[in-house]
Amino acid sequence: MSAPAIDGEVLARFNVSPRRRRRDAIARRTIMLATLIALVPLVLIIYYLLSKGLGAWSSDFFTTDPTGNTFFKNSNIGGIKSAIFGTIEMVALASVIAIPIGVGVAIWLVEYGKDSWFAQTVRFFIDVLTGVPSIVFGLFVFIVLVVGTGSSFAGWKGSIALSLLMLPVITRSAEVILLLVPDGLRESALALGAPRWRVIFSVVLPTALPGMITGMLLAVARAAGETAPLLFTAAATKATSFNLGGFMNSLPVQIYNDVTSPTTAVVNRAWGAALTLVSLILLLNLVARLIARRSRLT
Amino acid sequence: MTPARPTTNVTDMDPDSRTEPNAETSAGPPRGPIVAREDADTAAAAAPENGAARAAPRGVAVELEQLRAFYGDSEQLRGVDLAFRANEVTAIIGPSGCGKSTMIRCINRMHEEIPGARAEGRVLLDGQDVYAPSVDVVAVRRAIGMVFQKPNPFPTMSIYDNVAAGLRLTGRRGGDLRAKVESALRSAGLWDEVSSRLDEPGAGLSGGQQQRLCIARSLAVDPEVILMDEPCSALDPIATLKIEELIAELKTRVTIVIVTHNMQQAARVADRTAFMLDGQLVEVGPTQEIFTKPGDSRTEEYVTGKFG
Repeated sequence: MSAPAIDGEVLARFNVSPRRRRRDAIARRTIMLATLIALVPLVLIIYYLLSKGLGAWSSDFFTTDPTGNTFFKNSNIGGIKSAIFGTIEMVALASVIAIPIGVGVAIWLVEYGKDSWFAQTVRFFIDVLTGVPSIVFGLFVFIVLVVGTGSSFAGWKGSIALSLLMLPVITRSAEVILLLVPDGLRESALALGAPRWRVIFSVVLPTALPGMITGMLLAVARAAGETAPLLFTAAATKATSFNLGGFMNSLPVQIYNDVTSPTTAVVNRAWGAALTLVSLILLLNLVARLIARRSRLT
Repeated sequence: MTPARPTTNVTDMDPDSRTEPNAETSAGPPRGPIVAREDADTAAAAAPENGAARAAPRGVAVELEQLRAFYGDSEQLRGVDLAFRANEVTAIIGPSGCGKSTMIRCINRMHEEIPGARAEGRVLLDGQDVYAPSVDVVAVRRAIGMVFQKPNPFPTMSIYDNVAAGLRLTGRRGGDLRAKVESALRSAGLWDEVSSRLDEPGAGLSGGQQQRLCIARSLAVDPEVILMDEPCSALDPIATLKIEELIAELKTRVTIVIVTHNMQQAARVADRTAFMLDGQLVEVGPTQEIFTKPGDSRTEEYVTGKFG
């Protein structure tokens, strides 16, 4: 051990120079400012949603269908019940289609395809699909299932368009989570003499499940907020419908239609519907976070 | 994966000469041939399960003949001939990268799980080549247990389920699962520590307990050989001692091959020791001999700490 240093000496050697201190302060303030600027639109969106949307909320708002009587100032325009149910139904069907396929693709990529050329090709196209604008999925379904079959709009066609949108998101997120499952677990299960399918179903999937559910819910949340794939596949309707074979209303399309109305009350309904949609998505995100917290993978 | 094939010309691997002296092991199922999984399952289902048959010596000999292993184009194991005797502990020592782990991973055909890895040569398990085309890898792995370097209990499962996993994952339900789990945990010397908390997650145990849990998991499927790949390298000295005591007990009924970096450990647990260098077997012999009067100068240099 060296002799204790004199205070002055220690300061001289280890003090932060004034120049570095200044630069540090400037850098810290710059990135803080950038963060604040990024927060401005977010805060404004929440402010407008709450201030305009909450005013439209009432018990009738959630329990009645839109009436379509928007011509007179005092006419009863109705609520958004059909839009809420339509969104839930179509997104549910889209999830039923996209989740098994997406998880299946991810399992194949991670457990079987690995780095083969075909797996790499699949990954490439999944990435391409992730970047495809949502209206293109709507257009595709419109051409193939609406025009192509000479039939009309239907809820299930909207679900197909949404599921196409969800598929790459689910696949990619599930793949990432499956890759996080330690190889040691697969190896120890295989070394016990378990067939590969059983290793996947009994060891890999249960371990990955919380993380995969998070990815699924985020995909569901994204699909719930999409307008473009539904505009010319499911179209819009007034009445609440539980028939996915017919026209179906949805929150994004309801907002899209309402917000272009000249009647103030109808525009306010759009705000109310927007707040409803955001609340639903926020709820899904919260659930996703809660589940993610239970994940055993880090 | 290799498709399961129907069994046709199976040599009976159940030697009539092998006696099962323990009274409680009455009427055990005959050991199935390691060919088709379906056959193994059917045999297990048809014959009465004997969960308590563990005490009977049933280790078998393993022989490697000109075993070569590759990762892509690089040859990691360059023609090894080595015999592991039944119901003995054989330690594999040698410097890092000499192919110890690769070699034992070839015995239960885990080597080929690594993308680009393949093996050549023969591995005779009780006389039958596990690399023969008709062999089902899954059946081979059921006969050979494996304990890894890092304790890796299944994180989603309780202590009980971890041990039962060996049986459930291999489709061998039925019988008294609870008795088998208890028997495996007792054999692994873990029962007294966990019997009151079998429903707690296996990952909540200490490192040494986790490793013994993994040993119990592999014992539950009643293997004939257990391969241990540096099982104590992640454990403290006390946990290591417990595993070593366990190895001494287990060898009465299984053949054990243990890879270790720790030469004292090899000296403590192994009946025979093999020294490997650069993908080749340098020499094998009684442990005492390898450490005191090795036949090869390279072995002497290694065991006396001159390199490695």
